[in-house]
Amino acid sequence: MITVKHLQKAYHNPDGSTFTVLKDINCEIGPGEVISIIGPSGTGKSTFLRALNLLDPPTGGEILFGGENILARKYPVHKLRLRMGMVFQSFNLFEHMTVLENVMYAPVTILKKGKDAARSEALALLRKVGMAEKADVLPSSLSGGQKQRVAIARCLAMNPEAILFDEPTSALDPTMVGEVLSVMRQLAKEGMTMLIVTHEMKFARDVSTRIFFMYDGYIHEDGTPDQIFNNPRRSATKAFVQRIRKEVFEVDTDNFDFLGMETSINRFCIKYNIAGKSDSALSLIRMLLPVCMETGHRLTIRITYSELSEEASLDFMLEGADPSTLQAPYTSTRVEWKKAEALCQRTVEETTSRGYRVKFIL
Amino acid sequence: MKKSFISVLAAILFLCATAVLILASCSSEGSHGIELQSEDDISGLRVATVAGSCYDIDLSPRTDISLSLFNTASDMLQALLNHQADVIVDDETIFNSEIRRDNRIRIACKGSKLFPTALTFRKDEADIAETFNAVQRRMHEDGSMEQLKLFWLTDEYLEEKVHTHIPPEESGEPLRVASIVNMAPLAFMVEDDWFGLETDLVRQLAKELKRPLDIKLYEAASGLMALSSGQVDVLIGGLFITPERQETFIFADPYHSYRSAYFVLDTEAEESGAGFWQKIGKSLEKNLITEKRWKYITSGLWETVKITLLSIFFGAILGAGICAMTRSSRKWIRSVAGFYNWLMAGIPMLVLLLILFYVVFAKSGIDPTLVAVVAFALNFASGASDVYNSSLDSVPQGQTEAGLALGFTKLQTFLRIVFPQALTRGIPLFQGQCISLLKGTSIVGYIAIQDLTRAGDLIRSRTFDAFVPLLVVTVIYFILAWLLGLLIRSAYPKKHVL
Repeated sequence: MITVKHLQKAYHNPDGSTFTVLKDINCEIGPGEVISIIGPSGTGKSTFLRALNLLDPPTGGEILFGGENILARKYPVHKLRLRMGMVFQSFNLFEHMTVLENVMYAPVTILKKGKDAARSEALALLRKVGMAEKADVLPSSLSGGQKQRVAIARCLAMNPEAILFDEPTSALDPTMVGEVLSVMRQLAKEGMTMLIVTHEMKFARDVSTRIFFMYDGYIHEDGTPDQIFNNPRRSATKAFVQRIRKEVFEVDTDNFDFLGMETSINRFCIKYNIAGKSDSALSLIRMLLPVCMETGHRLTIRITYSELSEEASLDFMLEGADPSTLQAPYTSTRVEWKKAEALCQRTVEETTSRGYRVKFIL
Repeated sequence: MKKSFISVLAAILFLCATAVLILASCSSEGSHGIELQSEDDISGLRVATVAGSCYDIDLSPRTDISLSLFNTASDMLQALLNHQADVIVDDETIFNSEIRRDNRIRIACKGSKLFPTALTFRKDEADIAETFNAVQRRMHEDGSMEQLKLFWLTDEYLEEKVHTHIPPEESGEPLRVASIVNMAPLAFMVEDDWFGLETDLVRQLAKELKRPLDIKLYEAASGLMALSSGQVDVLIGGLFITPERQETFIFADPYHSYRSAYFVLDTEAEESGAGFWQKIGKSLEKNLITEKRWKYITSGLWETVKITLLSIFFGAILGAGICAMTRSSRKWIRSVAGFYNWLMAGIPMLVLLLILFYVVFAKSGIDPTLVAVVAFALNFASGASDVYNSSLDSVPQGQTEAGLALGFTKLQTFLRIVFPQALTRGIPLFQGQCISLLKGTSIVGYIAIQDLTRAGDLIRSRTFDAFVPLLVVTVIYFILAWLLGLLIRSAYPKKHVL
């Protein structure tokens, strides 16, 4: 359905230099395919998506859509966009219209549909994304997840042949990611052709028929989710999918913002779908923090999560300490330690050049 | 509804505050009346006179007095009544006995010097000045000049005393006259016609030249500018002959030498028995009913409305052009628009108006109202383009992208998605611009347009009463601003697009 050949996109800086974002993109996308585009930031994922519907017109190469070259001089761009919808990171609902008007405005004004027909279709779509209840409110009173669901309905109202999703969940509070992803899962199941730029690895692995790993302005690796995540052929792909998510807190004074740290850990757990582990992580911290502070060593707490192995851990690092630090004369500490071990799967202790680290696998 | 109630409330509060101030100034019986044996006794006093008059020139070298300069006799009188000045120095004929009685002032003493006064002409129209001198010589010979001066310059001049018996010429190029005063006995307006000593002299000249007469009222400084830039042929209004002025203009032979008088408050004079409301009623009658003076207000109102609406209309369109230029992709177009805005931001509105009237359109004979519309529209365009720009910038780029991605064309996206949102945000700003334009039009009096403010001035200069004319004008501006706001707010986009 979409064929991309030697696609290029370069920006001209004010100082005269050029910056090439997309160097040479080649791919073939068939109808009904669900393709997730993953990769590090700044490698041109969004630019590629925006080049496909010419919001950021490419500076070289060819794009064929249904066999037609959409980069031809006389090609009616707005007609192309009727057939290829787009969902934005920042939702971009029309703020001066109600939810229902947002969905039915383009069908009525562009497709010249009758208002009654457009309204009932729009309501049906809103019901599908669970937003029919809010049909008559203005977007400003909706949450991010609700806005994005309306934006998807607005896009579907034009009956597109394919939908481009530009990081649809990146601007959302972690608690709202799920509602948007389930709408997208439903669409994928119904056979919609979808191109999704995303950082949701689990979603990409579960839903996609194919994954593009973008790196340095190229599609660095193109394959099934199983190939990309479990048997990546290229080292950059491997490094990316095996990378470990982490958040580090340095507890150096008594004035440290403990409550802020708890919030951050909660968010971290929600973001990577390990919300069930946040309670034990917080209990561990509450239990062990006073013990560690008592030793007088600088403490660094780190929470990590590997998206590939789905393993989460909480580390306590006491700088310049050794295993004996947590033994006598602090006899009470060992008791706390035993209690703490009961809260996790297992513990790993290690002594490094920086100090003494205890790792709790959650 | 609530908003209009608040504005009415504010107007009433303002009125009450002004009334209280007036009452306070009426009842304050400050210092004793000042005794002046001769003009030398003014040492140490606060002296008021008209800016640019011979008294200004005569008194300004003195360091033992504090001299305040005013534009009109009515302003000067108000200062004396409010105890902001101790003594007024001006022609002895300026405040006749009726005005002196009504305002409880008296002549403390008279000056010793005489100041010759004449009609003023352009350098390049020496022949008209010569003709006028011949007319004056003839009038001296047949005694009609003496009669005229007796008629106008005796102290017992009364309001009914108007004097016109020369039928004006119907056709021909009019003799354009600038009067820099609207004040008996020199030159003053009653309804639409002009009367007074110098008016009669200029009538004689027009008759001699067989040309119709066109007298317009100017500020003193702008009258001189109009004469030097060729917009008028003759200047009347008691301009005194100075060597400096003789370099630029031709003075005819002086028709009279005025003597100065020193006016002070008359604390002995009896207060009229009238109560506060009677006074207000009398003042209203004097300022609005007598000589149909309300007509100045209505014609001034029309002039103000005309200039405001036309300037907003053309300025808004020009502003859209400027706004489009500042958003152009071409750098030189952007810089042209930037230069325009920079220029307009740097020129005071009054200066722009004066430049257009006395320099750019000086010789073209264009209607001053049109010049005012051009000046205000040029200035308004700059402000309007800023309003448009900031309103359009306030609509996030994502709205445009969403419109395009749905399949709208660029134009449709602008008109249907971006513009309605920009409009909602821009209307309050635009309304502010329009209302400051409305208030800004009060300076058009400088180019001899009789707008609402000028109408108040005209009445004031004839009745020597500040309260009623200023109050009426203020209230009308309030109402105009409110109506203008209503008009502009009616442009809010509909709540539902479908």
